[in-house]
Amino acid sequence: MIEIKDLHKSYKMGSNSLHVLKGINFKVEEGELVAIMGSSGSGKSTLLNILGMLDGADSGEYTLDNVPIKNLSETKAAQYRNKFLGFIFQSFNLINYKSALENVALPLYYQKVPRKERQEKAMKYLDRVGLKPWAAHLPSELSGGQKQRVAIARAMAAEPKVLLADEPTGALDSKTSYEVMDLIQKINDDGNTILVVTHEEDIAHMCKRIVHLKDGVIVEDKKIEQVRAEQYV
Amino acid sequence: MFDRDVWQEIFNTLKTNKLRTFLTGFSVGWAIFILVMLLASVNGMQNGFVGQFNDDATNSVFVRPGTTSEAYAGFEAGRRIQLKNDDVEYIKKSFPEDVEYISARYYANATARYKSETGSYSVQAVNPDHQAIEKTLLSAGRYINEADVVNKAKVAVIGRKVAEDLFKEEDPLGKFVEFNGLPFRVIGIFTDDGDDNAERGIYAPISTYQRIYGNTNDINMIALTYNPTYDLTKALEFSRRLEDLMKRRHKVDPEDQAGLYVFNYAEAFENISSFTAVLKGIGVGVGFLILIAGIVGIGNIMVFTIKERTKEIGVRKALGARPRQIVNLVLLESVFITSLSGFVGLLFAWIILAALGPMFQTPAFSNPSVNASTVITATIILIIAGVLAGLIPAMKAANVKPIVALSDK
Repeated sequence: MIEIKDLHKSYKMGSNSLHVLKGINFKVEEGELVAIMGSSGSGKSTLLNILGMLDGADSGEYTLDNVPIKNLSETKAAQYRNKFLGFIFQSFNLINYKSALENVALPLYYQKVPRKERQEKAMKYLDRVGLKPWAAHLPSELSGGQKQRVAIARAMAAEPKVLLADEPTGALDSKTSYEVMDLIQKINDDGNTILVVTHEEDIAHMCKRIVHLKDGVIVEDKKIEQVRAEQYV
Repeated sequence: MFDRDVWQEIFNTLKTNKLRTFLTGFSVGWAIFILVMLLASVNGMQNGFVGQFNDDATNSVFVRPGTTSEAYAGFEAGRRIQLKNDDVEYIKKSFPEDVEYISARYYANATARYKSETGSYSVQAVNPDHQAIEKTLLSAGRYINEADVVNKAKVAVIGRKVAEDLFKEEDPLGKFVEFNGLPFRVIGIFTDDGDDNAERGIYAPISTYQRIYGNTNDINMIALTYNPTYDLTKALEFSRRLEDLMKRRHKVDPEDQAGLYVFNYAEAFENISSFTAVLKGIGVGVGFLILIAGIVGIGNIMVFTIKERTKEIGVRKALGARPRQIVNLVLLESVFITSLSGFVGLLFAWIILAALGPMFQTPAFSNPSVNASTVITATIILIIAGVLAGLIPAMKAANVKPIVALSDK
């Protein structure tokens, strides 16, 4: 599904240049649930940005679902993001004046799905994260866990190839974190490919594979026995 | 453009920032209000000026004699110039192409009496062509004709006020009225829209008065209209030729301004229209400058809004919003505020003009108003202004990196 070969990325910091990714090689198959771990400054966020087409690499190859991702225009990148990727953010990033349903429907709006169909589809995904009764509520009327579930529904609504979650439990307490991870595991059980950036060990162990980044290189890449989040909920 | 979601978003931003929206909108509304009021005022002045002239043919030229101020051709300075009947014939023959109507004028005063009513009026003794030159409107009877002039008939066309003063309820037509003791038959009554005073006048055949005043050929002035197809340059060129010719005929120094006056209405109109054009230019200029301030205000607020919504825009882009969709959103919002507030300003100006405009009827200022073309121009200006105001903020918004939305830790 995802294939990265010898990926380099550096940032200019005044006169110095900061080499953040120093040759990443990495492959994700369909249906995997991968945790990307590393301390801050290890390059995990940069890697996620590149995977999310929010930033370009300096050199190396990136193929997503057999489509080479290179030199994209803003418009093209937007199209690919919309088609291939679903984002889950640490701070949810819901649009505060839109209801839960409208938030979920937003990626579909950018796919130019007709309004009625959009609403139906969004409702279906809201139902899937168990928030159908809250469809008309604004984000400010939801709890943190509920907000993240809306955000997950939004990421799912466009039916992307890959879900990218950047510290999805970073702003949640541990109980809510496990609820969200339970949801992520269930979505993965349905065959969706998910990448989770986290620095929490317990969250990482709820995935099926851990990729450890340190100073811009992968130091460890191992398959693990998945811990089901269900038991903590 | 007519997407429900886009409008929902625009209304939402406006609703959550009511005061801000009002203040920004106010600057543009105010600017349009001032622009329209300025243009309407200039229009009012133009109406006032044109109104003062419109009862005379706009292509008229007047030749008046004066007193020479320079010695010329063996004559001393201070000689009085006297126009005569043959000057009229001479002009007619010299400019067959240029002259449309021509008439001599002889001024006199008459104490008029009908039965027990008397009054003192000014009499203009003229040729039949004079009706066309002065655009005299008859409410009853006829004007002086060629036969009256040939027969030196004692007939008169009297103003409406004269008829009211002397005849009261009676129909003056065909009645005899005494001017300085001589009986004249009333053949017509004329009216004048703009001027009550003009209706206190009397027209009589020129030949009749010349005979009464000592069988003279003298006339006081010559009024004529030139070919109405002439544009301003041709008109002015004609009056110059006329002046040269008349000065030569009366042996007046070509440079002598006092000896003979040739007054062309076209010149006055030229002056007025360039005057109002300058005023209009100033009005539009000032209005635009104020409008620019309004546009900058809106642009400023939009930049601010974008800054506030950077994160939201980043999220939208991460969700697949194309740069163009973001630009459209911002532009539409800007155009919407500008147009709406502009229209409110326009509406206010229009209401005030409609309510107060007709009250202004002074000679220099009458019926200030805006026409459809002003409204259409204002609308186009507003939309362009909205686009301009939103352009920089929209580009800023489109350049927001979605990465910003992610790096929020």
